[in-house]
Amino acid sequence: MSVPSSLKVGPNTTLFLAKKRYLILYILLIWISIYTIQFEFWLFWIVYEIEKYVHFYLFLPLLIFVMYLSAIFISLIAAKVMLIIVNLIHKPREGVFLRHKSDKDYRYWSLRSVIKKWPLWISHKFPFPFMNNICLKVFGVKTKFSNSLFEGFVDTEFLSIGKDAIVGQGSVIQSAVIVGNLFIIRKTVLEENIIIGAHSIVMPGTHMKKNTILAGSSMTTVGQELEEGWVYLGAPAKKYKKNVFFEDELEHIIAAQIEKEIIPEKKLEDLYTMRKDQDTKIK
Amino acid sequence: MNEILDNEKENSDQIDYSIDFVTCSAISRIGIKFLIFYIPIIWFSGYTAIAVFFDMSSLINNWIITMFLLPIWFFVLYFIFVFGIAIFTKAFLLIINMIHKPKEGVFLAEEGNQDYEFWRLRVELKKLVFWLMNNGPLPWIVMWGFRWLGIRVDFSSHMNDAWADGEFIEFGRNVTVGQGCVVMSSMVVGKYLIIKKVILGDYTVVGGVGNISPGTIMGKESITGAFSGTLPNQNLEAGWIYLGPHSARKLKPNKYAEQRRDIIYRKNVDEEIKYEVKQDVNIDEDKKKLLNNNLED
Repeated sequence: MSVPSSLKVGPNTTLFLAKKRYLILYILLIWISIYTIQFEFWLFWIVYEIEKYVHFYLFLPLLIFVMYLSAIFISLIAAKVMLIIVNLIHKPREGVFLRHKSDKDYRYWSLRSVIKKWPLWISHKFPFPFMNNICLKVFGVKTKFSNSLFEGFVDTEFLSIGKDAIVGQGSVIQSAVIVGNLFIIRKTVLEENIIIGAHSIVMPGTHMKKNTILAGSSMTTVGQELEEGWVYLGAPAKKYKKNVFFEDELEHIIAAQIEKEIIPEKKLEDLYTMRKDQDTKIK
Repeated sequence: MNEILDNEKENSDQIDYSIDFVTCSAISRIGIKFLIFYIPIIWFSGYTAIAVFFDMSSLINNWIITMFLLPIWFFVLYFIFVFGIAIFTKAFLLIINMIHKPKEGVFLAEEGNQDYEFWRLRVELKKLVFWLMNNGPLPWIVMWGFRWLGIRVDFSSHMNDAWADGEFIEFGRNVTVGQGCVVMSSMVVGKYLIIKKVILGDYTVVGGVGNISPGTIMGKESITGAFSGTLPNQNLEAGWIYLGPHSARKLKPNKYAEQRRDIIYRKNVDEEIKYEVKQDVNIDEDKKKLLNNNLED
């Protein structure tokens, strides 16, 4: 519920590597959003004369709230315009690239990350869960407003999320990763009704089909395909059991199961030795 | 052999309904309707802070003193704002809990289910308070926030580096919850929401980046290692160290707790010193001779 700084969650752009040369755009975005606040405050000052201090102070908290929201939206619009221009110059694409400044794709990915950083940071500095969905939608991620992405760390491009997805606390969903000197971008697809447990990591190129659960502290591999209607567990994630928890009228059965004491020593046999699939499907 | 077992399991008709894995407690199905509560809470508490500033600044006419005190003013106003939000949130929560009392159990996580809808509402309201406390200049005050909004915890425990649900959690004395831990009393599995109380006993330690599931009971002086998780309804025996990424299992007895007890015990005994004091008897000078005679006997 509370997200302390030590958990370091939030939809900051993943693997953000600040490049000094792009910081001018970042500062420009901050300038634009603060200028908006300044302009609104000036307008408020003119409308409400300072002598009418009761009105002035009464509506000031609400104005600060509105100023905060408008700062987010203005920076979002400015960032979107910048992104359109950048994407016209060089279209973002999937693939395996070199993690070096000579690589054009890597350079432009860094540039896109720098542009997206400020609006996402400012929107995540207040606990409005829907703000993240708005930001991600503006940046081109296919997502629904019902999705719960607030507690996790979600990438901002090459990502498609179906409806009613839940991303757990401190989990990471990425579509780009750096491995040694290589830089990989793969499209991650999460279909509807998926649940990603706390502290789990979804690597680029993962395809989670609908009604899939990735249990807590688990990890998928690059390009892994998770079959429909299964609970996956482990690092790398493997089939654990069939996901029957989307069936109707199971309240009493689950309530009875929850009362039973689980002895992990017995369960560990299943967890570590008797996995249901021997070969994980990797594209 | 394993393959045969796998095939047998996959083809068997027996359906496994046991919840022997951990998911998450993130609120599902975000709704914009929570703004109805957010806006008045932010407005009232913001107005409180501004009213205090206005009253105080009108008393001080010297602008040099006002400028000198401005940094402290920002600090004080921030805390007035945060505490204002805590108080107004508590007021809303009291009303909401009077309409629908929070309870443990398994509920359908779909719109229309009363328990689920009220759980979402409580979570969203509490999130605002905890968020501001955690992201402020004094994150330790979140322990007060937890206590204020319904977790049974005293100030000897430490949880300000962890994520925790805002209800159905009980702490003993001197509990330490590590950095990045997730302590959940609620969990969404498929279409269902499970709410069950979590109890952490005295002197328990939860290692960094751990997952504590609903229904977990940690016995006195038990420890879970870093990256360990407990299964729903798991009981950890008192005085043991547990380890395991998906389901914590016994590693070894917690000798460190015994050492701690020894130190406390020995310290008390060793520091006891025998004092011998010679007392003078209040007696007349001429009769002191008689007293000495008695002693010689």
